[in-house]
Amino acid sequence: MARPLLGWAIFAVAMLLLPQFVSNGTLRIIIFANFLAIFAMSWDFISGKTGYISFGHPFLIGIGAYTSAILSYRFGMPVSLSIPLAVLATMVGGTLFFLPALRIKGTYFALVTLAFMELMYQLVQVIRPDLTGGTRGISGIKTILSGAAPNFYLSFGLMFAIGLALWLLSRTRLGTALDAISMNEEAVSGSGLNTTRLKLFAFMVSALVAGLGGAFYVHYLGSIAPRALFDINFVFTIIVSVLIGGSATIIGPIMGAFFMTFLLEYLRPLLPGSERYLVYGMIALVLYVYQPKGIMQILKNLSLRTRGPQTGRSGNV
Amino acid sequence: MALLEITDLHARYGMAKSLHGISLSVEEGSIVGIIGPNGAGKSTLMDSIMGLVENTGSIKVAGQETTRLDTSDIVRLGVGYAPERAHLFPYMSVRENLLVGAFTARETIEEKLEQVHDLFPVLKDRWAQETATQSGGERQMVSLGRALMSDPKILLVDEPTIGLAPKICDGIARALKRLNQEMGLTVVIAEQNVNFALSLAQEIHVLETGSLRVSGTPEQLRSDPELTKAYFGH
Repeated sequence: MARPLLGWAIFAVAMLLLPQFVSNGTLRIIIFANFLAIFAMSWDFISGKTGYISFGHPFLIGIGAYTSAILSYRFGMPVSLSIPLAVLATMVGGTLFFLPALRIKGTYFALVTLAFMELMYQLVQVIRPDLTGGTRGISGIKTILSGAAPNFYLSFGLMFAIGLALWLLSRTRLGTALDAISMNEEAVSGSGLNTTRLKLFAFMVSALVAGLGGAFYVHYLGSIAPRALFDINFVFTIIVSVLIGGSATIIGPIMGAFFMTFLLEYLRPLLPGSERYLVYGMIALVLYVYQPKGIMQILKNLSLRTRGPQTGRSGNV
Repeated sequence: MALLEITDLHARYGMAKSLHGISLSVEEGSIVGIIGPNGAGKSTLMDSIMGLVENTGSIKVAGQETTRLDTSDIVRLGVGYAPERAHLFPYMSVRENLLVGAFTARETIEEKLEQVHDLFPVLKDRWAQETATQSGGERQMVSLGRALMSDPKILLVDEPTIGLAPKICDGIARALKRLNQEMGLTVVIAEQNVNFALSLAQEIHVLETGSLRVSGTPEQLRSDPELTKAYFGH
């Protein structure tokens, strides 16, 4: 317990000192990485942990972002109120997400969630465009802070708090039970656990994180448009971040999100169009074939090789 | 009073009926064997008791009707289940697998862990190993251990010897016997391995295509020439 916590502390200190050393441009990239990390952790909590693969995560993020944007921009609500309401709305949306998971899993669940996202994309443009801004979205949304460094601190603080909370949660017996669901749901219920309640819990936590992330994100960007959000590329960026980092590990998705963000940014001058996604796809493929458990596992193996097996553990580790 | 009392149990998987009016009872402190060929409905019977399959009829555990209960409540009532082919969580350690089994019995975790380690000492040494990398015999031990962690009064074991070497089967048999004799656990074993069931159980029920064909003590069944020909291989 002490060692990983020390790791979290070092990570926090290093990140907090970062604005002293890097340019505002780099900070802006890291801000995006922080938000991607939040979305990735949210995805990881449903899909990495319980094995219900969501292809429609922007549906949840979008509810959070749009709710807060509409409440603050159209109704002049203060951000301190619109964000909590947006999170609540996202959790209601998460319940919708949860219903199909009662009956279907695997590919079917993935397709249904993808349909949710597409539906949302269409609906946002058609229903009450006076509120959602239709195809063009909304711009001029109130931002919470201005400047790269303050926004960096805000996004990092949010990401760090969420990451630490999820990590602590996943170390409890509840977290173990959620892991078990992805491996053998029948055996979990055969052991006397209520899998429906466990899944609902995972979905609510995931929705809460997605809602928080979406709402803060929209108040950072100051604008929102349906195609930027309800986009299959966005889904894949989230999923690949988790897979590259190492799913069901919380820390993995954070690393994956940073890796992906910087990769996409550094590729931008070389490949301005969407060819970039081809390159990251190939990198993800190679990494995934080499080590399906992601960067986390590679690091773990490295540390085992350099330090030898950890002492204090008996048996084969 | 019987610890487990099943009356006129019908069960189905979708459209396919797989149990037709099963009635049987299991006395407290006994070992009962359910034998029969593949597809006879042994696993369906187990799954029905656990509330994992749609069923009609009556199942009573310690006098309480369970057919309308959730699986989690049935486990809380004291039914432990070690399903066919272990059904472990492959990428979790032995210890984590056991702890998932203890979800409904938090107070007794330490005591139960000790009991499982006493029963299967190898699991104590291998506590950090992922069960995906274990042998079939050890996995079966983890599965039994996981079922014990819920602090059951009655233990359902589905095909504990499937795919295991005779020597390992003997170990499993010894463990089940100890659980019954030293800890007073009631055990229900579903087996295709008839001799394994006969060597342990005081009472045997023969299941064929979803119905009970005959019940009796191992001696009674052995003396029936037709059954002997069909099941005991002589």
